[in-house]
Amino acid sequence: MKLSELKVGQKAKILSIKTKGIIKRRLMDMGVLDGEPIIVEKVAPLGDPIDIVVKNYHLSLRKSEAEKIEVEVMQ
Amino acid sequence: MKTIKVAVAGNPNSGKSTLINAIAGTNLYVGNWPGVTVEKKTATFKVDDLTIDLVDLPGTYSLSPYTQEEIIARDFIVKEKPDIIIDVVDSTNLERNLYLAIQLLELGIPVVVALNIYDEAKKKGYEINTNAMEQLLGIKVVPTVATRKEGIKELLQAIKEIADSPDKFRPRILNYGADVENALKIIENGIRQSRKELIEIYPIRWLCLKLLEEDERVLKETGFTGEEEFLKKAKSHILKAQEEDIESMLAEIRYGIAHGITQEVLRKKDVARIDLTQKIDKIVLNRYLGIPIFLAIMWLAFKLAFDFSQPFSDWIDGLISGPIKRWATVGLNALNSPEWLVSLVTDGIITGVGAVLVFVPLIGIIMFLMTLLEGSGYMARAAFVMDRLMHFIGLHGKSFIPLVLGFGCNVPSIYATRVLETERDRKLTAMICPPISCGARLPVYVLFIGAFFTANGATVLWSLYILGIIMGIVVGFILKNTLFKGPTPPFIMELPPYRIPTLRDLRIHTWQKLKHFLIKAGTFIFASSIVFWFLLNTPYGVEKENSYLGKIGQTVSPVFEPLGFGNWQATSALITGVIAKEVVVTTMAEIYVPEKKEEKEQPAFSEEIKNIFAGFVSAVGEAFYNVFSRFGISAWETEEQPEELQNKLQTVFTPLSAYAFLVFVLLYLPCLTFAFTLRAEFGWKTLGWVLIIYLILPWITAFVVYQGGRLLGLE
Repeated sequence: MKLSELKVGQKAKILSIKTKGIIKRRLMDMGVLDGEPIIVEKVAPLGDPIDIVVKNYHLSLRKSEAEKIEVEVMQ
Repeated sequence: MKTIKVAVAGNPNSGKSTLINAIAGTNLYVGNWPGVTVEKKTATFKVDDLTIDLVDLPGTYSLSPYTQEEIIARDFIVKEKPDIIIDVVDSTNLERNLYLAIQLLELGIPVVVALNIYDEAKKKGYEINTNAMEQLLGIKVVPTVATRKEGIKELLQAIKEIADSPDKFRPRILNYGADVENALKIIENGIRQSRKELIEIYPIRWLCLKLLEEDERVLKETGFTGEEEFLKKAKSHILKAQEEDIESMLAEIRYGIAHGITQEVLRKKDVARIDLTQKIDKIVLNRYLGIPIFLAIMWLAFKLAFDFSQPFSDWIDGLISGPIKRWATVGLNALNSPEWLVSLVTDGIITGVGAVLVFVPLIGIIMFLMTLLEGSGYMARAAFVMDRLMHFIGLHGKSFIPLVLGFGCNVPSIYATRVLETERDRKLTAMICPPISCGARLPVYVLFIGAFFTANGATVLWSLYILGIIMGIVVGFILKNTLFKGPTPPFIMELPPYRIPTLRDLRIHTWQKLKHFLIKAGTFIFASSIVFWFLLNTPYGVEKENSYLGKIGQTVSPVFEPLGFGNWQATSALITGVIAKEVVVTTMAEIYVPEKKEEKEQPAFSEEIKNIFAGFVSAVGEAFYNVFSRFGISAWETEEQPEELQNKLQTVFTPLSAYAFLVFVLLYLPCLTFAFTLRAEFGWKTLGWVLIIYLILPWITAFVVYQGGRLLGLE
């Protein structure tokens, strides 16, 4: 499942980042790593970007980026 | 006597700026990094007999060179080789902050970690074992609370200690695992055999890591291709064991170490605390309330800035154009100075100073508010809320703020672009500000609406504002696909917790921007207004038509023929309007209805001084009155227009050519203050582009309006 498809409040584990270059590096630098648990906290009023909690802090990213992140929903 | 170079690094939102302000205070010198518009703060000060050169690096999350900020931070550390690095770490977000710390350790330079925001961490029930951290990393760790100046003394003490015996504080080499360490050994041997000189230039472990990561910048700088035998061998070694790319693998290893250390040193007591940030965000980022709240905050900031500054700007303006000019005239006359000199001093020089000073209250207040919004953490939310809309023209959500401010005045918009992280976004935003119709254009609109469009004035006025916005979007869209071609930078942004900025920070940042404006833009604005005086007044004493300005007007006017206003009077007014758009009205009045010279009575000196003070006091009163008691925005109200001038205009313009003229005024060259502020911030090249764009765009638009109107039979 893609990160962009998660609903607000859903918890998930990151499986892999399906992109390369700057965006992947940027995401990894911000702590978005394989195996990392995340929660989708909010969606912006206009539907994009989204706000996730990763490594205990809030990170916002556009849906176009979130689409490239594979996740697995955690219970 | 010893001098050491200390670099301050850290994540954005780690309180780095506050810490620097706490250490260096007003000693800070703020400039830009050479060639880029990223702020460079430096300070030199003494601790006992040690001289410290402090250099603030841009806030970064890592040292991989992708953004301008990261390149600067990394180039400085690697090439300028500071003696010590202070790494400002947000104690409430230890793991992610340690990720940068670990990269800094790779350089082999002694590091002091300032465990900042320590008070908040304690409140959250965090306990950080600083001793264990010092042991694990082989560096100094000092808890600090920069907002209250706590731990600053200890931090400086630690720096002194390291400066005395740097070798005792070489950071520990962290083990990146057998595979990587083996590969690094192979690379190090390879370098020692083939390119020994590189060891002198780069920290060796760092260089090996970067070569392993296939860092493009390092490859280019060192001349390696990545195809060298030893590099291939080192990489194949790892890739056999791992499927991933090496860069990702290293990021995971570094985060793994950061995680491990955090586990070791951080104890979380269970303190059931309701996170205030989350509570506020529930409302502020709410699906329905988010945008109204954002607009309300923008409106309030706008109102505060323009309503509050206007009385002070008026007071400065009155002071300069009134008493100061009068005194200068009296003084010069007493010295038997020729009339032209009096005019040069009063109308050229003093007016030039005034042109700079009237902006001071406005820029000051806007910078204060920007720092407040930024420091409180709201700015990131504003970006979050508005990003969808701004992404449309290839911009970041935060760009909305400078653009909104542009409705009051385009000049502070330039400074407001500092809230944006990348230089591309900052430049692009600043370049689409000019068509946002500022308050100074209003007097021109009002004059013409009074003369030609009394029946549907409001519609005409609104059409101009909306045309400005549309043109801004059009220019943005074109620039995005030409000058700023390439992928829009990704929007991957931290939403920091809400915090209350300190007064010290607000004061220092506001003052820095004001100083920048006064020195960098002020000199050019001042010089240009003298040049304009010469254009208007030489040869001295002739009719306006025969002055240089009139001559230029006559030469240029045919250009405006197809737009409907090809006469020298309108042209001259447009030329002087470059000083400030409202000057269009003054020039027209001077040309069409020359003022009869009248001798004004000179008030007594003591009377004048009394008036100045009374004026200031009433400005203070008015400022507060504006903010608290009025609902609407009063900014830049226009004066009554002389009927005589409007009658005259009716004989020269038709309603259609008048509208084309207004469109031209809306879109043509930004005022001098804008131009030179833009230059001070982004350089001549950006200014050059702005001048070209806003000469072509208004001509085409006014042409379409006028000729289109004629085709429709509107004339």
